[in-house]
Amino acid sequence: MSATELFLAYMLKASKYALILLSIAIIVRCIRSMLREQYEPETWAYIRTSDGRLPVNHWEVILGRSPSADVRVDKKGVSRVHAVLTRNDHGVWQIYDIFARSGVWVNGERVADRGIRVNNKDVINLGGVCVRFQEITPERREKLEEKRSIPGRGVSPAVTLLELTIFQLFLLMQHAIFAKPEQLPTIALGFLSLAIMQWSCYNAMRVIGRSGFEVETLAFYLSTLGMSVAASSTPDDMYKQILLTLAGVILFLIGGWWLRSLDRTEAMRLPIAAGALMLLAINAVFSDVILGARNWLIIGGYSFQPSELVKVGYVYVGAATLEHLFRERNLYSFIAFSAMCVLALALIGDFGTALVFFLCFLVISFMRSGSIATVILAISGAIIAGLLAVTARPYIGQRFSVWGHVWEDVYDKGYQQARAMSAAAAGGLFGKGGGAGWLKDIVAGNTDMVFAVICEEQGLIIALCMCLAVLTLAFFAIRSARTGRSSYYAIASCAAMSMLLTQVALNVFGSLDILPFTGVTFPFVSRGGSSLLSCWMMMAYIKGADNRREASFAVRPGERMRNAPPPEEVPEDEEEDE
Amino acid sequence: MKKITRRAFSVLLLAVLVIVGLTTYVLRYIDHGAEWALYFNRLNSGSSGELLDRNGVVLAAFSANENRYAEDVLTRTANYHVTGDYWGRTGTGILSTYWNKMQGFSLLTGTTRSTAATTRLFIDAGLNNTAYAALNGRSGCVLVTNYQTGELVCMVSSPAVDPADPNAEPAPGAYINRALSAVFVPGSIFKLITAAAAIENLPKLEERRFYCEGKTEIAGVEINCSGEHYTQTFEQALANSCNVAFAKIATLVGQDTLIRYVREYGFLDTHTLGDIPTAAGSFPLDFVGDPELGWAGIGQSTDTINPYAMLRFVSAIGNGGILVEPTMVNTGKAPVKSRFMATDTAEKLKEMMAYNVSYAYEGDFRFTGMKLCAKTGTAELGGDLTSHAWFVGFLDDAEHPYAFVVLVENGGGGLTVASPIAARVLQHCLRME
Repeated sequence: MSATELFLAYMLKASKYALILLSIAIIVRCIRSMLREQYEPETWAYIRTSDGRLPVNHWEVILGRSPSADVRVDKKGVSRVHAVLTRNDHGVWQIYDIFARSGVWVNGERVADRGIRVNNKDVINLGGVCVRFQEITPERREKLEEKRSIPGRGVSPAVTLLELTIFQLFLLMQHAIFAKPEQLPTIALGFLSLAIMQWSCYNAMRVIGRSGFEVETLAFYLSTLGMSVAASSTPDDMYKQILLTLAGVILFLIGGWWLRSLDRTEAMRLPIAAGALMLLAINAVFSDVILGARNWLIIGGYSFQPSELVKVGYVYVGAATLEHLFRERNLYSFIAFSAMCVLALALIGDFGTALVFFLCFLVISFMRSGSIATVILAISGAIIAGLLAVTARPYIGQRFSVWGHVWEDVYDKGYQQARAMSAAAAGGLFGKGGGAGWLKDIVAGNTDMVFAVICEEQGLIIALCMCLAVLTLAFFAIRSARTGRSSYYAIASCAAMSMLLTQVALNVFGSLDILPFTGVTFPFVSRGGSSLLSCWMMMAYIKGADNRREASFAVRPGERMRNAPPPEEVPEDEEEDE
Repeated sequence: MKKITRRAFSVLLLAVLVIVGLTTYVLRYIDHGAEWALYFNRLNSGSSGELLDRNGVVLAAFSANENRYAEDVLTRTANYHVTGDYWGRTGTGILSTYWNKMQGFSLLTGTTRSTAATTRLFIDAGLNNTAYAALNGRSGCVLVTNYQTGELVCMVSSPAVDPADPNAEPAPGAYINRALSAVFVPGSIFKLITAAAAIENLPKLEERRFYCEGKTEIAGVEINCSGEHYTQTFEQALANSCNVAFAKIATLVGQDTLIRYVREYGFLDTHTLGDIPTAAGSFPLDFVGDPELGWAGIGQSTDTINPYAMLRFVSAIGNGGILVEPTMVNTGKAPVKSRFMATDTAEKLKEMMAYNVSYAYEGDFRFTGMKLCAKTGTAELGGDLTSHAWFVGFLDDAEHPYAFVVLVENGGGGLTVASPIAARVLQHCLRME
């Protein structure tokens, strides 16, 4: 072995261990910052009862006698779930009677279906029990806000981001060993552009005074692995990957900004629902078949998967505010919308994505209704539909028939999975190095079997870290939900994460023969533009629900929010009310 | 809000599903990782190593960054069927059959080994080059083994492929190793087997005379001969390669006995050269009657023979009836020896093959200085097809104990086409250390 070869061999070995240590460090730091730090609720107003003062911690609260009520008025005459009190972007409070037996009055006026505005010091009569609504003064809120902890104090996001940058450098070094010299400049540009994007985002956040950067860090970590997969599987196509990542980040920023206003967000639900259905309809009619699924639109030479964009829209439409939930009281229109989405996907033969939608539907409908009966009914319906699908489309049945038996037919039905498992195992814990694998050249290696590609090139530990990154985001979404301002954000972030988790499960376990092979992408890592865009947009929902103090750019800081001016000064509001 | 946010834990179910699945995979990986990993790894595994011929010539070298082959085109091509390629296009190459052993596997590092693996072959790449050049583009194969040590020094199959040329358009059948994976009609070389059966089963063979007037009739079916040999001894009949005599001998020996010999000598079996399986030949096993048996006894009928099986046969004759199994990979282990045929039979056959050379190829300058024992074969294929040309035998020379098989597929006459190739290869062998 020549001196150069020996040097390269040592560099390769060193980079493998460095990548693993950095991966673990990045994930652990994000976990500590996201899941270990304190989350104190915000306070937006008070309800004074004869027993004292109760804080209103959200923009949407339930008043009632039940222990699950946000503001618990445990008095005789009050229903278990009596009324819903909401606040909008402009600080205007409204109260709704949610079918309480004994009615709701504000200053002696009975609350009708459309709710009634509540002003500071107003008396709210809950079935004979009078409480007083008290707005919080801006000074008081500022004081309270100062008591809440700011993320990033214990775990500095800049250090985590620096680790990620070093991670990218080591990955680039591995690719430099294995890539063809003429492809190296664009590969280097890929990793460089990621570094530039993440530091620009970070600096922008600092400039606007935000300190929560874990979600972005994890998304950039996953995108880095995606860039590595692109560099080893399609090195001639690096520009596309760079531009798509950039577009994803921009859409993420736009999405986060959009979610800052709940009114604006709510107003667009119907148009987005219509748009999503239209996109699916166009897809069902004009799409082309690529790799078994007819889920591709080819426009001007570029292929894209409309269902990926619809995912984002689906979450957007599925999430709902508390007030909306209690006004509507049933899920009929949402079920109809979901059924149309799933049906459209089933029609074009993309059953993997249909399943992703379905599980997201279960999470949304359970969060919205709390009804396990609905969930069971939906699952039974899906099983029947699934059986019908298997009889109608034999090739899906075929996937099931080979499930668990891929090693018995490695040259036909088990072709992809057997190779994925072989390559994944050949990587061991430390991998062979970025660009050194062979699985990436198998059909759909860099999409449907991307977990195995990462196992082969980066080793099992980093592949597990990759899954852990998504899991961390999911735990974070669950945790953020508790302090969320509106149920809309809580539901949206949980729904988004349920989609990503389902994708992880179907992608990883499908390629490893633990579940049937459905051909679903791994969030951020799988090659595929539309998927990358949708994953970045999904991150906006997570940011929207991140209610820690001064953490998320997608949440307006509480201390800078003013209360609504008294109603006299906004006569149009009053007219509307009458 | 409380109501809603409590329900957020439904997402946890999905997270648990992912965690359970990943745990399942890790446990399965611990159990089956090795078998999975080694199943397909034809391409670079991350390990490094070399494949060397007996003189240290590099036939293939792989490291974390590249897969290489021998440096010059002739060595790459002539040794293609020994080396194979990193993609496994030919299933019989060392890079396919020994890849797993060269890679190794550990749960920690996968197939990436920390130390380089060196695999040394008994093959002489230069000898292969000579043999491949001698075949000169014709389809066929050459095998040479040291019958005392079992070292397989030459294995060439033509046409072959340059594995380093990704745009090569290989000739039809170029990925088939004719020496191991194919069977051919044997023609007259089969007479050695019939002769062995006769030696052990026909009494007073030395005293018998066989009369040939160019053709004979067995039960009304005509069997023709290459010439008119008139009265001949058993030895002369082999030297004349007389069809009339050997068809008669086959009927005298009988089908059952002949089948027993074909089977005992391993012509109907699959053998393994190291880990590489060979193709099994054939012989009429159902009762066929005397005329067909006559044809079968002279290597026609439905007879087929695998060149490697023939190599074992002539190698055993050369070594006095003891077969030293040919090996290609130098593992440092002692060669496997076994009794193949009775010493007397082997000696008698050797004598007859030596006589054959002195009698039939007397004065052939290409074999001057060699103690050659050999037999030609010209296997007729019927129709317009040109015959297969065979030349098999060994050197009765303790310093150069080489047994060989040369086959040119549809090449023509054994003496005119196959023997010159054997001559060039054996001349090279004589120069080897």
